[in-house]
Amino acid sequence: MEITLMQGIGLAIMAIVVGLDFWLEALFIFRPIIVSTLTGIILGDVQLGLVCGGITELAFAGLTPAGGTQPPNPVLAGVMSVVIAYITGQGAEASMALALPFSFLMQYVILFCYSTFSFFMKGADKAAEEADVKGVYKTNIICSCIIAALYGVIVFLCAYAAQDAMKALVEMLPAWLTHGFEVAGGILPAVGFAMLLRVMLKVEFVPYLLIGFVIACFLDFSNLLPIAIVGVALALLVYNIEGKIAAVAAQKTVVEEDFDDGI
Amino acid sequence: MASNKVLDKKDITKLAFTSMFLQASFNYERMQAGGFLCAQLPALKKIYKDDKEGLSAAMKDNLEFINTHPNLVGFLMGLLISLEEAHADRNTIKGLKVALFAPLAGIGDAIFWFTILPIVAGISASMAIEGSIVGPIIFFLTYVVIFALRFVWTHLGYNLGTKAVGTITEGAEKIGRAATILGCTVIGGLIANYVSIAVAIEIPVNEAKTVMVQADFFDKIFPNILSIGYVFLMYYFLKQKKVSPVVLIVCTFVLAIVCSFFGIL
Repeated sequence: MEITLMQGIGLAIMAIVVGLDFWLEALFIFRPIIVSTLTGIILGDVQLGLVCGGITELAFAGLTPAGGTQPPNPVLAGVMSVVIAYITGQGAEASMALALPFSFLMQYVILFCYSTFSFFMKGADKAAEEADVKGVYKTNIICSCIIAALYGVIVFLCAYAAQDAMKALVEMLPAWLTHGFEVAGGILPAVGFAMLLRVMLKVEFVPYLLIGFVIACFLDFSNLLPIAIVGVALALLVYNIEGKIAAVAAQKTVVEEDFDDGI
Repeated sequence: MASNKVLDKKDITKLAFTSMFLQASFNYERMQAGGFLCAQLPALKKIYKDDKEGLSAAMKDNLEFINTHPNLVGFLMGLLISLEEAHADRNTIKGLKVALFAPLAGIGDAIFWFTILPIVAGISASMAIEGSIVGPIIFFLTYVVIFALRFVWTHLGYNLGTKAVGTITEGAEKIGRAATILGCTVIGGLIANYVSIAVAIEIPVNEAKTVMVQADFFDKIFPNILSIGYVFLMYYFLKQKKVSPVVLIVCTFVLAIVCSFFGIL
């Protein structure tokens, strides 16, 4: 199916709003689950948006900007997975994989902004020197406006202007390649989870990972709530036990000190 | 002390709202500094009024490097503004800021990125994949609540003033650990549910019997063993070999397509 000019403009406006939200990390409407659903609504196929959103969200669960590293862009991944599925009729997993190049493109654009926006700090320093409140506001507004404009333009170009090229490309693909994209869509969350674990996992936390994994392997249930509750139980257990150990240790040192005094 | 009070509850609520501009001018040189100052300016202006020198000094201090957590920064801002209002020593304010922003970022990352996001995303995405709009709605509402909590943190920070510093640095480690345990458990579950690797090879033994490598071999050892194995492989490359995630994504991609070509996956 084709994307109309109006739909292209609609997607661009949505991208400006959610893109700014990603910039500020305020309401988290930049996550693929929301972006894809909104894209689906704009394109008139909510179901498609939901399915693509769910799949893309999971692949991006571990790709977070925690610690100041910029992940592949979730906004472009969310928009383009639905757009590609809509134009080409590919399944959600393959579309998610095909959307990744767009996601990387936006990631690099943002990285470029992170570097170049450093130059604006000179102006802000000058404003601070002169107690010029408006000058500081201006710096922040200019930076945010540049980001907003970039999102609008790039999404409009990717979703509307390039759709014929994209369709032609996908029609050329042989079956083993599209199946390969589906396979990649199934494995990619592994990289995301490994990213999460790189920051979180220490040897002492491995048991909890294994407990969660084993329960999920044998528990036939549609969502993760039971595992989250087991996690809460384990966290409380450890928190309490460590509290007690600390208390005992504190007591012990007090007793020993007394003993020393006695001698 | 009482005569110093120039801010009322409304100003602090406003501060919580403007705290969302923390990353408005994010850059690699000072990270969130520009937004951090921007968010506090309305309150600072009210405190310093015509004292240009005082305002300029406060502005310069707040333009120094900072990188903390957007959802929790209100607490830090509330705390610092209470000190600015009391005209505490500039070095005290600066020291507190530097002492607190990193632990706050650590707690925030552990709680928001590594615990709440995987859980909420896992639950709402599984609903969305089944075609239910309830999934994204739950996701959205969760984050509206988290946003609303900014108002709580900011008032808390302002009210606690300097008393909170000890509590937060002591508690940070324990809270962070508990959140990490919860997060690791959930990620274990996510790996089992959402990383899917199925080997497609079938080995014909005789006419009546073919061995399906996935169903007859890997699933008999342990279900999802390839999934968790691949996650640990990626973890090894990320942590021990310092390979960039982008390289791993591209390699995974290529691997998937090559395996698909040869009918392995």
